[in-house]
Amino acid sequence: MPDVILKNLPFLLSGLRLTVEIAFWSILGGTILGLAIGIVRYLRTPVLAQLFALYVGFVRGTPLLVMVFICYFGLPVLLAYKTSAYAAAIVGFILFIAAYLAEDIRAGLRSVRPGLVQAALATGLTRLQVVRLVVVPIAVRNVIPTLFNQYVRLFKFTSVASVIGVNELTGSAMLVNGREFAPITIIGFIALTYLVLCLAISSVGRVLYARLAVKT
Amino acid sequence: MPYKLDWVPIWNNRDLIVEGFLTTIALSAAGLVLALLIGVAVGTAGSSRSRVARSCAAGYVELMRNIPLLVHMYFWYMGLAFLRLPPFACAVAALALYSGAYVAEVVRSGIGAVPQGQRLAALATGLTPMQAFLLVIYPQALRIVMPSLASVISQLIKDSSLASVITVAELTYEATAIEGQTFRTFEVYIVISLLYLLLASIVTYGMMLLPGAREDAVQSSSNA
Repeated sequence: MPDVILKNLPFLLSGLRLTVEIAFWSILGGTILGLAIGIVRYLRTPVLAQLFALYVGFVRGTPLLVMVFICYFGLPVLLAYKTSAYAAAIVGFILFIAAYLAEDIRAGLRSVRPGLVQAALATGLTRLQVVRLVVVPIAVRNVIPTLFNQYVRLFKFTSVASVIGVNELTGSAMLVNGREFAPITIIGFIALTYLVLCLAISSVGRVLYARLAVKT
Repeated sequence: MPYKLDWVPIWNNRDLIVEGFLTTIALSAAGLVLALLIGVAVGTAGSSRSRVARSCAAGYVELMRNIPLLVHMYFWYMGLAFLRLPPFACAVAALALYSGAYVAEVVRSGIGAVPQGQRLAALATGLTPMQAFLLVIYPQALRIVMPSLASVISQLIKDSSLASVITVAELTYEATAIEGQTFRTFEVYIVISLLYLLLASIVTYGMMLLPGAREDAVQSSSNA
Protein backbone atom coordinates (compact mmCIF):
# COMPACT_ATOMS: atom_id res chain seq x y z
CA MET A 1 0.00 0.00 0.00
CA PRO A 2 1.33 3.48 -0.80
CA ASP A 3 2.82 5.54 2.03
CA VAL A 4 0.16 8.24 1.86
CA ILE A 5 -2.53 5.70 2.61
CA LEU A 6 -0.57 3.86 5.31
CA LYS A 7 0.25 7.08 7.11
CA ASN A 8 -3.37 8.19 7.17
CA LEU A 9 -4.93 4.78 7.53
CA PRO A 10 -6.35 5.29 11.06
CA PHE A 11 -8.09 8.48 9.94
CA LEU A 12 -9.45 6.88 6.78
CA LEU A 13 -10.63 3.88 8.76
CA SER A 14 -12.51 6.12 11.19
CA GLY A 15 -14.16 7.61 8.10
CA LEU A 16 -15.01 4.14 6.88
CA ARG A 17 -16.53 3.32 10.26
CA LEU A 18 -18.75 6.37 9.98
CA THR A 19 -19.76 5.36 6.45
CA VAL A 20 -20.73 1.90 7.64
CA GLU A 21 -22.65 3.35 10.59
CA ILE A 22 -24.56 5.78 8.39
CA ALA A 23 -25.31 3.04 5.90
CA PHE A 24 -26.47 0.67 8.62
CA TRP A 25 -28.92 3.09 10.25
CA SER A 26 -30.19 4.33 6.91
CA ILE A 27 -30.77 0.81 5.64
CA LEU A 28 -32.53 -0.20 8.86
CA GLY A 29 -34.70 2.91 9.03
CA GLY A 30 -35.34 2.98 5.30
CA THR A 31 -36.44 -0.65 5.24
CA ILE A 32 -38.87 -0.19 8.13
CA LEU A 33 -40.35 2.99 6.68
CA GLY A 34 -40.39 1.52 3.18
CA LEU A 35 -42.18 -1.58 4.44
CA ALA A 36 -44.79 0.57 6.19
CA ILE A 37 -45.38 2.75 3.13
CA GLY A 38 -45.43 -0.27 0.83
CA ILE A 39 -48.02 -2.08 2.94
CA VAL A 40 -50.25 0.98 3.32
CA ARG A 41 -50.19 1.56 -0.43
CA TYR A 42 -50.80 -2.15 -1.08
CA LEU A 43 -53.83 -2.15 1.22
CA ARG A 44 -55.02 1.16 -0.31
CA THR A 45 -55.75 2.58 3.14
CA PRO A 46 -57.73 5.73 2.35
CA VAL A 47 -56.00 9.14 2.73
CA LEU A 48 -52.72 7.61 3.99
CA ALA A 49 -52.20 5.71 0.74
CA GLN A 50 -52.72 8.87 -1.32
CA LEU A 51 -50.41 10.88 0.93
CA PHE A 52 -47.70 8.26 0.63
CA ALA A 53 -48.18 8.11 -3.14
CA LEU A 54 -47.49 11.85 -3.27
CA TYR A 55 -44.49 11.44 -1.00
CA VAL A 56 -43.04 8.62 -3.10
CA GLY A 57 -43.58 10.60 -6.29
CA PHE A 58 -41.92 13.67 -4.84
CA VAL A 59 -38.89 11.89 -3.41
CA ARG A 60 -38.32 9.77 -6.49
CA GLY A 61 -38.21 12.91 -8.60
CA THR A 62 -35.76 14.71 -6.32
CA PRO A 63 -31.99 14.27 -6.30
CA LEU A 64 -30.52 12.83 -3.12
CA LEU A 65 -28.27 15.86 -2.68
CA VAL A 66 -31.32 18.15 -2.61
CA MET A 67 -33.04 15.78 -0.17
CA VAL A 68 -30.02 15.95 2.13
CA PHE A 69 -29.93 19.75 1.84
CA ILE A 70 -33.62 19.90 2.73
CA CYS A 71 -33.00 17.76 5.81
CA TYR A 72 -29.90 19.68 6.88
CA PHE A 73 -30.77 23.28 6.02
CA GLY A 74 -34.49 23.34 5.31
CA LEU A 75 -36.45 21.26 7.80
CA PRO A 76 -34.59 22.41 10.95
CA VAL A 77 -35.38 26.04 10.08
CA LEU A 78 -38.95 25.29 9.16
CA LEU A 79 -39.71 23.22 12.23
CA ALA A 80 -37.30 25.06 14.56
CA TYR A 81 -35.06 22.29 15.82
CA LYS A 82 -31.30 21.80 15.90
CA THR A 83 -29.59 18.97 14.11
CA SER A 84 -26.09 17.71 13.40
CA ALA A 85 -24.84 17.00 9.88
CA TYR A 86 -24.60 13.34 10.84
CA ALA A 87 -28.23 13.08 11.97
CA ALA A 88 -29.48 15.15 9.04
CA ALA A 89 -27.65 12.90 6.59
CA ILE A 90 -29.17 9.76 8.10
CA VAL A 91 -32.67 11.28 8.11
CA GLY A 92 -32.22 12.37 4.49
CA PHE A 93 -31.01 8.93 3.42
CA ILE A 94 -33.86 7.20 5.24
CA LEU A 95 -36.50 9.47 3.69
CA PHE A 96 -34.87 9.05 0.28
CA ILE A 97 -34.32 5.32 0.14
CA ALA A 98 -37.65 4.49 1.82
CA ALA A 99 -39.51 5.84 -1.21
CA TYR A 100 -37.64 3.49 -3.54
CA LEU A 101 -37.87 0.52 -1.17
CA ALA A 102 -41.60 1.13 -0.75
CA GLU A 103 -42.14 0.78 -4.49
CA ASP A 104 -40.08 -2.40 -4.66
CA ILE A 105 -41.89 -3.88 -1.67
CA ARG A 106 -45.28 -2.94 -3.10
CA ALA A 107 -44.35 -4.66 -6.36
CA GLY A 108 -43.40 -7.72 -4.33
CA LEU A 109 -46.66 -7.65 -2.36
CA ARG A 110 -48.66 -7.45 -5.56
CA SER A 111 -46.77 -10.36 -7.06
CA VAL A 112 -48.07 -12.76 -4.40
CA ARG A 113 -50.60 -14.98 -6.16
CA PRO A 114 -54.22 -14.09 -5.44
CA GLY A 115 -54.98 -17.77 -4.80
CA LEU A 116 -52.76 -17.72 -1.74
CA VAL A 117 -54.49 -14.65 -0.37
CA GLN A 118 -57.92 -16.16 -0.95
CA ALA A 119 -56.90 -19.44 0.63
CA ALA A 120 -55.57 -17.60 3.67
CA LEU A 121 -58.80 -15.58 3.94
CA ALA A 122 -60.81 -18.79 3.59
CA THR A 123 -59.03 -20.36 6.58
CA GLY A 124 -60.49 -17.56 8.69
CA LEU A 125 -57.53 -15.22 9.04
CA THR A 126 -58.39 -11.54 9.17
CA ARG A 127 -57.20 -9.25 6.41
CA LEU A 128 -54.34 -7.89 8.51
CA GLN A 129 -53.28 -11.36 9.57
CA VAL A 130 -53.20 -12.42 5.92
CA VAL A 131 -50.90 -9.52 5.13
CA ARG A 132 -48.68 -10.10 8.14
CA LEU A 133 -48.45 -13.88 8.04
CA VAL A 134 -48.77 -14.73 4.36
CA VAL A 135 -48.24 -11.87 1.95
CA VAL A 136 -45.36 -9.98 3.58
CA PRO A 137 -43.13 -13.00 4.29
CA ILE A 138 -43.45 -14.27 0.73
CA ALA A 139 -43.14 -10.84 -0.86
CA VAL A 140 -40.10 -9.71 1.13
CA ARG A 141 -38.21 -12.89 0.34
CA ASN A 142 -38.96 -12.56 -3.34
CA VAL A 143 -37.81 -8.96 -3.60
CA ILE A 144 -34.49 -9.56 -1.82
CA PRO A 145 -32.50 -8.95 -5.04
CA THR A 146 -34.11 -5.55 -5.67
CA LEU A 147 -33.82 -4.62 -2.00
CA PHE A 148 -30.12 -5.34 -2.04
CA ASN A 149 -29.72 -3.35 -5.25
CA GLN A 150 -31.16 -0.41 -3.37
CA TYR A 151 -28.90 -1.09 -0.39
CA VAL A 152 -25.86 -0.99 -2.67
CA ARG A 153 -27.15 2.24 -4.17
CA LEU A 154 -27.61 3.67 -0.71
CA PHE A 155 -24.16 2.58 0.36
CA LYS A 156 -22.67 4.49 -2.55
CA PHE A 157 -24.92 7.45 -1.82
CA THR A 158 -23.55 7.77 1.71
CA SER A 159 -20.62 9.56 0.05
CA VAL A 160 -22.98 12.50 -0.48
CA ALA A 161 -22.94 13.10 3.29
CA SER A 162 -19.43 14.53 2.83
CA VAL A 163 -20.97 17.50 1.04
CA ILE A 164 -22.69 18.68 4.23
CA GLY A 165 -19.51 18.14 6.23
CA VAL A 166 -19.79 14.61 7.60
CA ASN A 167 -16.28 13.15 7.62
CA GLU A 168 -17.19 9.71 6.40
CA LEU A 169 -14.96 7.85 3.95
CA THR A 170 -15.18 10.36 1.10
CA GLY A 171 -15.07 13.35 3.42
CA SER A 172 -12.02 12.11 5.30
CA ALA A 173 -10.33 11.22 2.01
CA MET A 174 -10.84 14.78 0.80
CA LEU A 175 -9.32 16.10 4.05
CA VAL A 176 -6.34 13.81 3.69
CA ASN A 177 -5.98 14.92 0.09
CA GLY A 178 -5.99 18.53 1.18
CA ARG A 179 -2.99 17.86 3.38
CA GLU A 180 -1.06 15.37 1.29
CA PHE A 181 -2.13 16.18 -2.24
CA ALA A 182 -1.99 12.75 -3.80
CA PRO A 183 -5.44 12.74 -5.40
CA ILE A 184 -5.08 9.70 -7.66
CA THR A 185 -3.82 7.42 -4.89
CA ILE A 186 -6.35 8.60 -2.34
CA ILE A 187 -9.35 8.60 -4.64
CA GLY A 188 -8.23 5.26 -6.03
CA PHE A 189 -8.06 3.87 -2.51
CA ILE A 190 -11.56 4.94 -1.51
CA ALA A 191 -12.94 3.84 -4.90
CA LEU A 192 -11.50 0.39 -4.27
CA THR A 193 -12.93 0.33 -0.73
CA TYR A 194 -16.40 1.21 -1.98
CA LEU A 195 -16.09 -1.36 -4.77
CA VAL A 196 -15.19 -4.18 -2.38
CA LEU A 197 -17.91 -3.30 0.14
CA CYS A 198 -20.59 -2.93 -2.54
CA LEU A 199 -19.66 -6.29 -4.03
CA ALA A 200 -19.83 -7.74 -0.51
CA ILE A 201 -23.34 -6.34 0.02
CA SER A 202 -24.50 -7.76 -3.33
CA SER A 203 -23.12 -11.18 -2.50
CA VAL A 204 -24.88 -11.18 0.88
CA GLY A 205 -28.07 -10.46 -1.07
CA ARG A 206 -27.38 -13.31 -3.45
CA VAL A 207 -26.79 -15.79 -0.64
CA LEU A 208 -29.90 -14.68 1.27
CA TYR A 209 -32.01 -14.93 -1.88
CA ALA A 210 -30.70 -18.41 -2.69
CA ARG A 211 -31.58 -19.55 0.84
CA LEU A 212 -34.84 -17.76 1.46
CA ALA A 213 -36.64 -17.31 -1.85
CA VAL A 214 -40.04 -18.95 -1.96
CA LYS A 215 -40.24 -21.34 -4.87
CA THR A 216 -43.81 -21.32 -6.05
CA MET B 1 -44.64 27.56 13.12
CA PRO B 2 -41.93 30.14 13.81
CA TYR B 3 -40.74 30.17 10.22
CA LYS B 4 -42.59 32.39 7.74
CA LEU B 5 -42.49 31.19 4.17
CA ASP B 6 -41.42 33.95 1.82
CA TRP B 7 -41.24 33.28 -1.89
CA VAL B 8 -40.29 36.77 -3.06
CA PRO B 9 -36.49 36.33 -2.85
CA ILE B 10 -36.82 33.17 -4.95
CA TRP B 11 -38.77 35.03 -7.60
CA ASN B 12 -36.18 37.83 -7.58
CA ASN B 13 -33.46 35.28 -8.29
CA ARG B 14 -35.36 33.56 -11.06
CA ASP B 15 -32.61 34.34 -13.58
CA LEU B 16 -30.13 32.25 -11.62
CA ILE B 17 -32.59 29.40 -11.32
CA VAL B 18 -33.38 29.42 -15.04
CA GLU B 19 -29.68 29.52 -15.86
CA GLY B 20 -29.01 26.63 -13.51
CA PHE B 21 -31.93 24.70 -14.95
CA LEU B 22 -30.58 25.12 -18.49
CA THR B 23 -27.12 23.97 -17.35
CA THR B 24 -28.69 20.93 -15.71
CA ILE B 25 -30.48 20.12 -18.96
CA ALA B 26 -27.27 20.55 -20.98
CA LEU B 27 -25.30 18.46 -18.48
CA SER B 28 -27.87 15.67 -18.44
CA ALA B 29 -28.22 15.70 -22.23
CA ALA B 30 -24.48 15.49 -22.81
CA GLY B 31 -24.11 12.80 -20.14
CA LEU B 32 -27.06 10.91 -21.55
CA VAL B 33 -25.79 10.81 -25.15
CA LEU B 34 -22.40 9.51 -24.04
CA ALA B 35 -23.94 7.08 -21.54
CA LEU B 36 -26.18 5.66 -24.29
CA LEU B 37 -23.20 5.20 -26.62
CA ILE B 38 -21.16 3.49 -23.88
CA GLY B 39 -24.17 1.49 -22.76
CA VAL B 40 -25.02 0.17 -26.22
CA ALA B 41 -21.39 -0.78 -26.89
CA VAL B 42 -20.82 -2.45 -23.52
CA GLY B 43 -24.29 -4.01 -23.42
CA THR B 44 -23.83 -5.52 -26.87
CA ALA B 45 -20.43 -6.88 -25.83
CA GLY B 46 -22.06 -8.26 -22.70
CA SER B 47 -24.58 -10.25 -24.70
CA SER B 48 -22.12 -11.51 -27.30
CA ARG B 49 -21.03 -15.12 -27.51
CA SER B 50 -17.35 -14.36 -27.01
CA ARG B 51 -16.35 -15.07 -23.44
CA VAL B 52 -13.63 -12.40 -23.46
CA ALA B 53 -16.08 -9.69 -24.57
CA ARG B 54 -18.59 -10.83 -21.97
CA SER B 55 -16.11 -10.69 -19.09
CA CYS B 56 -14.72 -7.33 -20.21
CA ALA B 57 -18.26 -5.93 -20.25
CA ALA B 58 -19.05 -7.44 -16.85
CA GLY B 59 -15.81 -6.03 -15.44
CA TYR B 60 -16.63 -2.57 -16.71
CA VAL B 61 -20.16 -2.69 -15.33
CA GLU B 62 -19.11 -3.92 -11.87
CA LEU B 63 -16.24 -1.45 -11.65
CA MET B 64 -18.27 1.60 -12.63
CA ARG B 65 -21.48 0.69 -10.87
CA ASN B 66 -19.98 -0.05 -7.48
CA ILE B 67 -18.11 3.22 -7.06
CA PRO B 68 -20.10 6.25 -5.86
CA LEU B 69 -20.77 8.88 -8.51
CA LEU B 70 -19.27 11.50 -6.20
CA VAL B 71 -15.99 9.59 -6.21
CA HIS B 72 -16.17 9.43 -10.02
CA MET B 73 -16.60 13.19 -10.07
CA TYR B 74 -13.68 13.78 -7.69
CA PHE B 75 -11.55 11.44 -9.75
CA TRP B 76 -12.02 13.49 -12.91
CA TYR B 77 -11.92 16.83 -11.15
CA MET B 78 -9.11 16.31 -8.64
CA GLY B 79 -7.42 13.05 -9.56
CA LEU B 80 -6.92 14.10 -13.16
CA ALA B 81 -6.49 17.77 -12.29
CA PHE B 82 -3.31 17.92 -14.36
CA LEU B 83 -5.44 17.52 -17.49
CA ARG B 84 -7.11 20.84 -16.59
CA LEU B 85 -10.51 19.72 -17.85
CA PRO B 86 -13.27 22.26 -17.26
CA PRO B 87 -15.60 21.16 -14.42
CA PHE B 88 -18.47 20.70 -16.87
CA ALA B 89 -16.43 18.19 -18.90
CA CYS B 90 -15.42 16.36 -15.70
CA ALA B 91 -19.05 16.07 -14.66
CA VAL B 92 -20.11 14.84 -18.10
CA ALA B 93 -17.33 12.23 -18.14
CA ALA B 94 -18.20 10.99 -14.66
CA LEU B 95 -21.94 10.88 -15.37
CA ALA B 96 -21.43 9.11 -18.70
CA LEU B 97 -19.09 6.42 -17.38
CA TYR B 98 -21.23 5.81 -14.29
CA SER B 99 -24.64 5.78 -15.98
CA GLY B 100 -23.18 3.98 -18.99
CA ALA B 101 -22.79 0.91 -16.78
CA TYR B 102 -26.50 1.02 -15.87
CA VAL B 103 -27.51 1.55 -19.50
CA ALA B 104 -25.28 -1.40 -20.46
CA GLU B 105 -27.16 -3.72 -18.11
CA VAL B 106 -30.48 -2.53 -19.52
CA VAL B 107 -29.29 -2.99 -23.12
CA ARG B 108 -27.94 -6.44 -22.32
CA SER B 109 -31.23 -7.56 -20.82
CA GLY B 110 -33.09 -6.08 -23.80
CA ILE B 111 -30.98 -7.96 -26.32
CA GLY B 112 -31.44 -11.11 -24.26
CA ALA B 113 -35.21 -10.64 -24.37
CA VAL B 114 -35.34 -10.63 -28.19
CA PRO B 115 -35.92 -14.26 -29.23
CA GLN B 116 -32.87 -16.03 -30.78
CA GLY B 117 -34.97 -16.82 -33.87
CA GLN B 118 -35.10 -13.14 -34.79
CA ARG B 119 -31.34 -12.96 -35.15
CA LEU B 120 -31.10 -16.25 -37.00
CA ALA B 121 -33.91 -15.26 -39.37
CA ALA B 122 -32.27 -11.87 -40.00
CA LEU B 123 -28.96 -13.56 -40.81
CA ALA B 124 -30.73 -16.14 -43.00
CA THR B 125 -32.29 -13.40 -45.12
CA GLY B 126 -28.76 -12.24 -45.96
CA LEU B 127 -28.35 -9.31 -43.59
CA THR B 128 -24.84 -8.81 -42.25
CA PRO B 129 -24.49 -9.23 -38.45
CA MET B 130 -24.20 -5.46 -38.17
CA GLN B 131 -27.43 -4.96 -40.12
CA ALA B 132 -29.14 -7.64 -38.08
CA PHE B 133 -28.35 -5.69 -34.92
CA LEU B 134 -29.26 -2.27 -36.29
CA LEU B 135 -32.41 -3.22 -38.18
CA VAL B 136 -33.82 -6.20 -36.28
CA ILE B 137 -32.51 -6.63 -32.76
CA TYR B 138 -31.97 -3.09 -31.45
CA PRO B 139 -35.41 -1.76 -32.48
CA GLN B 140 -37.17 -4.63 -30.71
CA ALA B 141 -34.89 -4.51 -27.68
CA LEU B 142 -35.39 -0.76 -27.35
CA ARG B 143 -39.16 -1.15 -27.05
CA ILE B 144 -38.86 -3.92 -24.50
CA VAL B 145 -36.49 -2.00 -22.23
CA MET B 146 -38.12 1.41 -22.62
CA PRO B 147 -39.48 1.50 -19.03
CA SER B 148 -36.14 0.54 -17.44
CA LEU B 149 -34.31 2.91 -19.74
CA ALA B 150 -36.64 5.73 -18.73
CA SER B 151 -35.90 5.05 -15.07
CA VAL B 152 -32.14 5.01 -15.69
CA ILE B 153 -32.45 8.34 -17.50
CA SER B 154 -34.44 9.98 -14.74
CA GLN B 155 -31.80 8.64 -12.35
CA LEU B 156 -29.15 10.34 -14.48
CA ILE B 157 -30.95 13.67 -14.42
CA LYS B 158 -31.11 13.60 -10.65
CA ASP B 159 -27.53 12.39 -10.33
CA SER B 160 -26.39 15.42 -12.31
CA SER B 161 -27.02 17.43 -9.12
CA LEU B 162 -23.75 16.04 -7.75
CA ALA B 163 -21.91 18.12 -10.35
CA SER B 164 -22.58 21.08 -8.06
CA VAL B 165 -19.94 19.67 -5.71
CA ILE B 166 -17.25 20.13 -8.37
CA THR B 167 -18.43 23.70 -9.05
CA VAL B 168 -20.56 23.17 -12.14
CA ALA B 169 -23.13 25.97 -11.96
CA GLU B 170 -26.19 23.80 -12.42
CA LEU B 171 -29.52 23.92 -10.61
CA THR B 172 -28.39 22.66 -7.19
CA TYR B 173 -25.31 24.90 -7.26
CA GLU B 174 -27.42 27.97 -7.99
CA ALA B 175 -29.81 26.92 -5.25
CA THR B 176 -27.03 26.83 -2.67
CA ALA B 177 -25.86 30.22 -3.92
CA ILE B 178 -29.35 31.70 -3.60
CA GLU B 179 -29.76 30.08 -0.21
CA GLY B 180 -26.50 31.64 0.94
CA GLN B 181 -27.65 35.09 -0.05
CA THR B 182 -31.29 35.06 0.97
CA PHE B 183 -31.54 32.38 3.71
CA ARG B 184 -34.84 31.25 2.17
CA THR B 185 -33.63 27.67 2.61
CA PHE B 186 -36.81 25.69 2.47
CA GLU B 187 -38.37 27.63 -0.38
CA VAL B 188 -35.40 27.41 -2.70
CA TYR B 189 -34.90 23.67 -2.24
CA ILE B 190 -38.58 22.96 -2.71
CA VAL B 191 -38.54 24.95 -5.94
CA ILE B 192 -35.57 23.10 -7.38
CA SER B 193 -36.99 19.75 -6.23
CA LEU B 194 -40.09 20.49 -8.22
CA LEU B 195 -38.01 21.51 -11.23
CA TYR B 196 -36.12 18.20 -11.10
CA LEU B 197 -39.40 16.36 -10.68
CA LEU B 198 -40.80 18.21 -13.68
CA LEU B 199 -37.79 17.47 -15.85
CA ALA B 200 -37.64 13.79 -14.89
CA SER B 201 -41.40 13.38 -15.41
CA ILE B 202 -41.37 15.04 -18.82
CA VAL B 203 -38.53 12.81 -20.00
CA THR B 204 -40.07 9.63 -18.60
CA TYR B 205 -43.55 10.27 -19.96
CA GLY B 206 -42.08 11.42 -23.27
CA MET B 207 -40.21 8.16 -23.62
CA MET B 208 -43.24 6.07 -22.79
CA LEU B 209 -45.12 7.88 -25.57
CA LEU B 210 -42.69 6.56 -28.18
CA PRO B 211 -44.54 4.22 -30.53
CA GLY B 212 -44.71 0.68 -29.24
CA ALA B 213 -43.04 1.37 -25.90
CA ARG B 214 -45.98 0.07 -23.89
CA GLU B 215 -47.62 -2.55 -26.08
CA ASP B 216 -44.41 -4.33 -27.01
CA ALA B 217 -43.38 -4.58 -23.40
CA VAL B 218 -46.65 -6.27 -22.57
CA GLN B 219 -46.56 -8.51 -25.63
CA SER B 220 -43.03 -9.75 -25.20
CA SER B 221 -43.60 -10.58 -21.57
CA SER B 222 -46.72 -12.58 -22.41
CA ASN B 223 -44.92 -14.38 -25.24
CA ALA B 224 -41.95 -15.30 -23.12
